[in-house]
Amino acid sequence: MNMPNSSTAPNANEYAGDEVSAIVLDPGYSTTRAGFAGEDVPKSVCPSFYGQIGDDGDSSRYFFGENSIHNPVGDLQIKNPWGSDGIVEDWDTATKIWEYAITSRLTGSKPTDPTKNGLNDANGDAMEVDVEALEQSEKPLEDSPLLMTEPGWNSTKAREKYIELAFEEWGTPAFYLHKTGALAAFASGKASGIVIDVGASHTSVTPVLDGMVLRKGVQKSPLAGNFVSNQIRLSFKQSSPEIPLTPHYLVASKTQVDAGAPAQASYKTFATPPTESFRRHEEERVLTEFKESVVELWPGPGRFSNGTNEEIAKNQPGRPFEMPDGWNQVFSSERFRVAEGLFDASAALTDADSPKPKDEWCIPRLVQQALTHVDADQRPLLLQNIVVTGGSTLLYKFNERLNYEINTIYPSTRNKLIAPGPVVERKYAAWIGGSILASLGSFHQLWISKKEYEEHGSNIVEKRCR
Amino acid sequence: MASGRDVRDMLGLPIGADAPKAALQKRPKPAGPSRLPKGVAREVAALYGERPPPVAVYEEKKAYRAKRANTGPAKKWVRQSFVNQARPDGLVLKHWRRKRDPEEKMIGNGEGEDTAMEDRENEEPYVESSGEFLKYNVEPEMPAFTDEEYEAHLRSDDWSREETDYLFRMIKDYSYRWAVVWDRYDYKPAENSSLAVQESTANGEASQALAALPFAQTRARTVEDLKARFYHISAKLMKLHIPEVQMDADQYARYEMLTKFDPTLERNRKTLAAALMNRNMDEVKEEEFLLAELQRINMAANRLDAEREELRARLEAPLPNHQSQAGLQSFTSSQALQALFQQLFQQDRSKKRSSGVGPGRLSLSGHDIIGTPTSAQQAQMSAANRRQSMAQQVPQTPIKNLPREEEFRFNVSTHDRLTSGVSFGSDKLLKMRQAKSNVQTQKIATALQELGIPDIIPIPTARVADVFEGLIAKVSRLLDVRKVREKEEGECRVLEAMKKRLNGDTDGANDDADKNDVKEEKDEIADSQEDGDADADGDAENDEDNDEDNDDDDDDADADGDEDADGEADEDAEGEEEDDDDEDAEGEDDSRVPSVRQVSEAVSTRAMSSVGHKRSASVLSQASNKSSKRARR
Repeated sequence: MNMPNSSTAPNANEYAGDEVSAIVLDPGYSTTRAGFAGEDVPKSVCPSFYGQIGDDGDSSRYFFGENSIHNPVGDLQIKNPWGSDGIVEDWDTATKIWEYAITSRLTGSKPTDPTKNGLNDANGDAMEVDVEALEQSEKPLEDSPLLMTEPGWNSTKAREKYIELAFEEWGTPAFYLHKTGALAAFASGKASGIVIDVGASHTSVTPVLDGMVLRKGVQKSPLAGNFVSNQIRLSFKQSSPEIPLTPHYLVASKTQVDAGAPAQASYKTFATPPTESFRRHEEERVLTEFKESVVELWPGPGRFSNGTNEEIAKNQPGRPFEMPDGWNQVFSSERFRVAEGLFDASAALTDADSPKPKDEWCIPRLVQQALTHVDADQRPLLLQNIVVTGGSTLLYKFNERLNYEINTIYPSTRNKLIAPGPVVERKYAAWIGGSILASLGSFHQLWISKKEYEEHGSNIVEKRCR
Repeated sequence: MASGRDVRDMLGLPIGADAPKAALQKRPKPAGPSRLPKGVAREVAALYGERPPPVAVYEEKKAYRAKRANTGPAKKWVRQSFVNQARPDGLVLKHWRRKRDPEEKMIGNGEGEDTAMEDRENEEPYVESSGEFLKYNVEPEMPAFTDEEYEAHLRSDDWSREETDYLFRMIKDYSYRWAVVWDRYDYKPAENSSLAVQESTANGEASQALAALPFAQTRARTVEDLKARFYHISAKLMKLHIPEVQMDADQYARYEMLTKFDPTLERNRKTLAAALMNRNMDEVKEEEFLLAELQRINMAANRLDAEREELRARLEAPLPNHQSQAGLQSFTSSQALQALFQQLFQQDRSKKRSSGVGPGRLSLSGHDIIGTPTSAQQAQMSAANRRQSMAQQVPQTPIKNLPREEEFRFNVSTHDRLTSGVSFGSDKLLKMRQAKSNVQTQKIATALQELGIPDIIPIPTARVADVFEGLIAKVSRLLDVRKVREKEEGECRVLEAMKKRLNGDTDGANDDADKNDVKEEKDEIADSQEDGDADADGDAENDEDNDEDNDDDDDDADADGDEDADGEADEDAEGEEEDDDDEDAEGEDDSRVPSVRQVSEAVSTRAMSSVGHKRSASVLSQASNKSSKRARR
C-alpha cells in the first residue's frame, strides 16, 4: 500500500469527486482549450484562428490546428470567428474549430459505420439502417457531457446558440454553461473574489460571489494582449529608423549583424503568396515572442510617465531581441512604454488608426468600476481575493504593478492578489476551474440533460446556468 | 512424607496426567550461546565476552518497500451507468466502477460465456442509483403565505403581488445571497401587468392598483428595499403563525431582528462603510499613525502599572482585593462580606501564628463577626459588646491632625466617639428647642420667635447647629436669669411682708405655711450638700424659695424624671455620653444640651436645689452609672 503524500492524487471521496468523463471546452479569442474533466491541464489546446482558401461558399476550404494555419499556402487567409465585442460572430466556423479541438485529441474520429466502411458489402443488401440512430452515433460527443465556458458579458442569444450547438450538432447527453470568471476563481480555490482576466482580445474584471458572477459588476475593455501587440507595432513604426518586422516564414536564411544594423537575410519567394492576413498573423507570433521576452511593466511606485521614472527605466539594463531576419537591438525604456497603456491610457502610443484608449478601459479603473456595482458589504471580501488570470498577465512585473495600483485606490482594505505561478495555471485557469467543477459528484444534478432541453427548448440555459 | 503423588491421590486426580508436563515446563531451557546480536560477525561478538554491551550495535537493515500483496488477477472496471437521485429527469451518466460481483457469478454459472453475454445484452442494462451526493442538494427554507394572508396582511402600496412573488422566487433561487439577488433583480412588471389589473379589479381596487403600477415599473430597488420587504413579510407571517407570546427565545429573537430592520439605517451604514473604504492614502496613514500612537500610550501605561504593582508588592502591601476595586458596591451582599471577613481572618491568624504576639493589627474577635453592620444578628447584640468593639477599633483609623483653619475650610470634624446610625441634623436642632418642661419650652419658643428664627431651619448643617446651640444656651441663660430675678424679687417681697408682720400684726395661718415651707427647704439643703461645695454655697439662698416657684419646679422635676429615665436609657444604648462630664449626674441634666445645663447650674444653683428630692434619687442612679462606666473603662 502506498502512503498518500503530497504528490498522490486525493481519493475521490475526499473531494466529492465522481467523474463522468465530461469534456470541458473553454473557447477563447486566441486559443480554444478542451480536455476531460478531472485532468489538470487541457489535453487539446488549439488556436482559434483558422485558415481559409477561397471566398465564403461551398468551394472554400478550411484549415484548423496549429500545423495547418502556419503553413504558407497560397491565398491562405487567416480568420478568427470571434467578434470585436468578445462574443462569437461566425458561428459556423466557430463550431468547426471547437469540434476540431475536441475530436482531434480527445474523442478521436469515430470508426466508420459498418454499413459504409465496405467490409460488410459482401453479405447484405437487405441491411435496414435506422437513419436517425445512425446520425446520432455519428455525433462527436454522444457519450460525454459537455461543460462550456462563456465570457461574463455573453448575450442571451449566444448562450442559446451554445446549447443548441451542444445538443443538436454534437449530441451531448448533458450540457452546462459557466462563466469564465467564476471558473477561474474556482481554479484558485476561491468561491468569492474579483477575477481580473487579461486575455488576448479583452480584459475583463468579474466579481464572483459564492460561485456566482455578479453581472452588474462585470467590466470589460479591449486593452489586452492584442492591444499590447499593436502598441509594439506602433513603437516599431515610430522609432527612427523604423524597426522592420519580418515573420519567420519569409526568411530563408539570415546572417548575424550588429545591433541596430539592417538585416542581411535571404528571403523566400512564393508563386502565389499567402494573403496579408496570414502575414499579419505570422507577425503576431513574432510579437508574442517579443512580449514574452522583452516587454516589462513599470512596477511602480507611480506611473511610468511620472517624474523621473522614465529616466530610472532608461538606466536599467536593456533586453536584447533578435528578429527572425537577424536584425537585433537592445530595448531599454521602450519595453516599459508599450504595456503601460494597460494601466495608464494617457501613456499609450497613438497614431491615426489607433486613437488614444479611453481612460475607463484601464485595469485599475475597471476594478474600481466593478466594485462600485457590488454591494458595499462584499467589497472588502472581494478585494481579499483578487484572482489574476489570462495569458497577458504573464507580462513581466504585471502583478507588481497591479498590486501597486490597487493599493493606491484602496489603501484601507486588505488587498490580496492571487496569481498562480505556473504558466499553465495562469493561462488555462478557466478551463481548470471547469475541470474541477465538472468532475464533482455534486455537479451531476446541475447538468442540463437532453431530455430537459427537448422539453423546455434552448431557453432553459437562462434558467439553469445563472 | 506425603509427596505430590499422595496429595493427587487424595484429591482424586489422575496420577500421571499432569506431572510430566509440569516437569517439562519447569525444565530450564538449554543454556545455549546467548543470542547473538544480529548483523554482527561471530568473531566480533566473541570479543564481547560474556556480557554483551549494554547498547546493542545493530546495522540498520536495508528495508525495501514490502512487496505488494498479490490480490489475484487484475480487477475489472466498467463504465457503469448511473442515475443521480437528485435529478428529476433520470439523466443517465456513466462513471468508472469496479465490475459487480453478481455478473461475475453469472458468467461462471456453468453455461457458456456466449450465452451469458447474450443474456446481458437482452436484459435491461443495470443502472446504478446514486444518492451519494444527495446531501448537497439543499433547499433554502422560505416563509410561505396564502392569497388570503397576502390580501389581509401583506399588501403594500409600493410592492405588487407579482413583484413580491418574484422577490421570493429570487431569494429562493439564490439562497438568501442578498448581493446576488440584488445583482440579478430585474423585475419587469409589464409581462404580468394585465393579470395584476384583472386581479385588483376583481377586488374592487382598480384605482389603487393602477396608481401603484406605474411607479413600480420605474423603480430600481436597492438591497435595503428588498430586504425590508422580505423581512417585513417574514415578520408578519411569523407573528401570524406563532403569536408573540408563544414564541420561544430563538423565535422571538429572530422576530425582533426581523421587525427591527431599518433600511435607512442600513443604507447609512453602507454609505459609511463605502466611505471608509474609499479613504485616500493620507487618511489611512493618519489613522495608522494615530493607532500606533495609541498603542504606544497604552504600552507605556501598562508598563507604568506594572512598575507600580511591583513597587506595591515590594512594600508588602496587602494584596489588592479584586472586589475592592469595584468599590464598596461589591460588599453589599452578606456572602461577599463573609468572604471578606474570612480573608481578613485568615490573614490575621496567619500573622498571629507567624509573629506569636497577641492580637495583631487586625484583631477580629467573634464579636466582630457578628458586628458587621449588615449581619442579621445585629439586633441580638448588646450595647456593651458594641461599645467595646468600637473602643478597640477607633484607634485603627488613622487620625490626621489638620490645622484649625483647614478643618474649617474642608469642613472636617473629628469626633471622639461617634453615634451609631444615622440622625438628621434637623432632629438635633429640634431637640435643642425642647427644654425639660413645657413652660420652659414655650418660653424658649417665644424668645426665638422674638428673635425671628423660624421653627424649621432650612439647612441644618453642623455649623448652623453649633451657632444655634450657642443661641439656645444664651436664651436659656437669659431665662434662668429672669427666673432668678423674679425669685429674688418675690423673696424681697416676702421678706418685706415678714418684716411688716414682725413689725406689726400678722396672720397666723400664713405664718404656718411659710414655716413649713422653710423647713422643707432646709431638709433639701441637707440632701443637696452631697453634690458639692458650690451647690452647698448656693443652697443657703434657696431656703427662701416661694410657693409658686416650688410648684413650678416640682412640675419641672416630674418632667425631668421622665426625661432622665429616657435619657439614661438612651445613653446606655447609644454610648454617646462624654467621659469627662461628671456633672451629668444631676437629675435635671439634659444630656443633649450640656453647656446649657452647666451655665444654668453656675448661674442659678437654687433652681437645682429646689428639686433636691428628685435629684437625690437620680444622683444615686447616676453614681452607680458612673461607677459602672469607670469600671468598664
